[in-house]
Amino acid sequence: MKPNKFILVVLAVLLIVGVVAGVRGVTWFVQNEEFRAPQRVEIGAADATPRETGLADEQAALDEKNKALEYTPKAYRQIGGVSSRVIVWMLAQLHLLFAAFVLAVPMFALIIEFIGYRNGDKRYDKLAYEFTKLLSVSFSMTATFGAFLLFMLVLLYPQFMQYLMHVFSPTFLPYVLLFFLEAVFLYSYYYGWGKFSPKVHLFLGLMLNLVGTAIMLIANAWLTFMTSPNGISETGAVISTWEAVHNYTWMPINIHRIIANVAFGGSIAGAYAAFKFLTARTDEERAHYDWMGYIGQFVAISAFLPLPFAGYWLASEIYAYSQTLGLQMMGGAFSWLFIIQAALIGNLFLAANYYLWLGMGRVEGVTHYQKIIKYLLIVIGLCFAVWATPRSIISTVSEIRAMGGASHPMLGYLGVMSAKNTAVNLLILSTFMSFLLYRRTGKEATHPLRRMLNAVQFSVFALSAAIVIFFGIYGYFVEAAVRIKFSIPQVGSVLVAMVLITVLDVILFRKAKETSPMRWGKINPISQYVLIFIAISFTWLMGLMGYVRAGLRQHWHVFGVIRDNSVDAFTPTLGYATKIVSLTVLIFFALIGVVFWLASLSGKPNYETDAS
Amino acid sequence: MSEQQQQSGAWIALKIILVVVGSTAMYTHIGQLVPQKEVLAPTTIEIKKDATPDELADIGKGISEGKGLCMTCHTIGKSGALRFPDLGGIASIAETRIAEMDSLTYLANSIYHPDDFIVPGFTKGMPAINKAPIGLTDDEIISVLAYLQSLGGNPTVTLDLTPADLGVE
Repeated sequence: MKPNKFILVVLAVLLIVGVVAGVRGVTWFVQNEEFRAPQRVEIGAADATPRETGLADEQAALDEKNKALEYTPKAYRQIGGVSSRVIVWMLAQLHLLFAAFVLAVPMFALIIEFIGYRNGDKRYDKLAYEFTKLLSVSFSMTATFGAFLLFMLVLLYPQFMQYLMHVFSPTFLPYVLLFFLEAVFLYSYYYGWGKFSPKVHLFLGLMLNLVGTAIMLIANAWLTFMTSPNGISETGAVISTWEAVHNYTWMPINIHRIIANVAFGGSIAGAYAAFKFLTARTDEERAHYDWMGYIGQFVAISAFLPLPFAGYWLASEIYAYSQTLGLQMMGGAFSWLFIIQAALIGNLFLAANYYLWLGMGRVEGVTHYQKIIKYLLIVIGLCFAVWATPRSIISTVSEIRAMGGASHPMLGYLGVMSAKNTAVNLLILSTFMSFLLYRRTGKEATHPLRRMLNAVQFSVFALSAAIVIFFGIYGYFVEAAVRIKFSIPQVGSVLVAMVLITVLDVILFRKAKETSPMRWGKINPISQYVLIFIAISFTWLMGLMGYVRAGLRQHWHVFGVIRDNSVDAFTPTLGYATKIVSLTVLIFFALIGVVFWLASLSGKPNYETDAS
Repeated sequence: MSEQQQQSGAWIALKIILVVVGSTAMYTHIGQLVPQKEVLAPTTIEIKKDATPDELADIGKGISEGKGLCMTCHTIGKSGALRFPDLGGIASIAETRIAEMDSLTYLANSIYHPDDFIVPGFTKGMPAINKAPIGLTDDEIISVLAYLQSLGGNPTVTLDLTPADLGVE
């Protein structure tokens, strides 16, 4: 059997990483364990005691000293010279990334399986199974990182963990039981594929989703309590565990995470399909994985579009809980983080639109729609630029004098919330329009009212854009308290427009005539690297937003209640934070590569068959 | 044979690794382009008991811009659509806010009980800064009051004053 070159490359990369880590470890050990200042004594002053007597005396003295040792509980511990915060930070992020994937995939696998069950198309069943194949190893990774994280928290932050146990101990047993049930439903869903009646199997998938979501709700209670503590006295004594669970940011985080998990899970599944597409040997395989990649991407972007709205709600709840927290987030130490976020989201929108545009190549004779894409691209580019415009600009003293302040006299107006809300809503509308155009490729509406329905669709789109722009401009002329409420009609109009236009589109193209067939697999291979780029951007975005959610507490373990008195009780620079995020993302992708490889093993022929 | 078929698995793997590492490096680089500021945990500021009102005002300015987080929301000398009231000339403006309440009492109560009186056109939201998470000490608050008095007036407060002396219940 030929050695698999891909495995060799992955092993080579892992070997290099291992060697670098090993060298670093040995260097650290030598630097810290060797005598830094060798002890030297004059020959004349040397002790004349026989060596064995001296050793026995030393041991006796040590035994006496040990007997007298007193137990003193420690608030913090450290492992070597590594920052405890970085250890916990990276482990928590890795655990969350795998957990997000494990929670998200069953959601859309179940929906796809259900579609296949309803329409009888076996392709959907096969696709849902393909997604599910990624779950079992990922579930093990989630559990491993979860246990690792817990051990590290108990080891490094014992006092703080004792407090969290004091508040949340009633939730621990249900959590463990749910985790056990999750394992039962996940493995019966995966191994039971085709072994049960479709209805029983769908029920297993439904239970898997419900149990998974319940696990997430409990874990979210712990972490949101740290940001917006509730149900406790001023000194931290528990008044109500339920109130502690049901704190200000719990439900917004629950909703935000469910949506973000689906977007992230879709993008990772899309990356898996891209990997399989690129390494496919037959046109049939390529067609299947092209379709799978498209579905993964569709899931990711569909969930991504409403995500900013969930983000608004979360931010408003943070403000409602504490103006101090809200202002630190948007106007204080973390304000520049949102410029990095804008760059990420802008890239995601551009990449998603580029993928859709490349996807039009699957259908012959679509130049009509491809022409429109460039105008959408201009709108997306402009919105991206507005969103990435900072309120204040890094400048020299002379530049500040010339501008009359840290804000640019003209561009400064684009750095405020009115402009950014307008930009992101128009970005969403444009991407939605891009998807609609893609959906129409190779089809011709035959509905008798097609002209009118098209006109209504266009009017709804134009009206929504007008509402967004109107409130964006009006926001400059009112006070902050009024302005902040303008995001509701802006978001509302976009959501209503998307729902209405989609419903009309379904009616319009219900019995559409196919002018050119969809040729799955016939797409520029660059599109597959775009899918991988989208997955990286989503992962990095999750890491960045995870940092701001946790970092927002600054020098508090539990905001306003349990202060962080460790050596890490400071907020690092954004440059440092982004390096940690990147390192975590690289480790995650190395591990998810292993997951992809293991998942793809099931499709390989048996060793004996291959050898014969 | 298509382009993909011609490419070896190793070459594809290498390209995927390049995309992963390249994209991550790009985002890391973007992270280095924004202002880099390390925010340290605030500490209690030691103020000498015999500090003059002017010295207290200087200390209070530092507190209002740092640990107190006042300037995150308030402005000095700005108008238009503001988040919280502008503090330019606040020492004299404070005289007019509540009938029969002097400037210092008004300012002290605004700090200790920020929701008791809301300036028309604005909403609630200012935290009691003598409590966690900001948690200024009484001495630090006196210094902030001295600074506020210096905006449109002259500082008069000293550290021997208690909250009760300032009309705070």
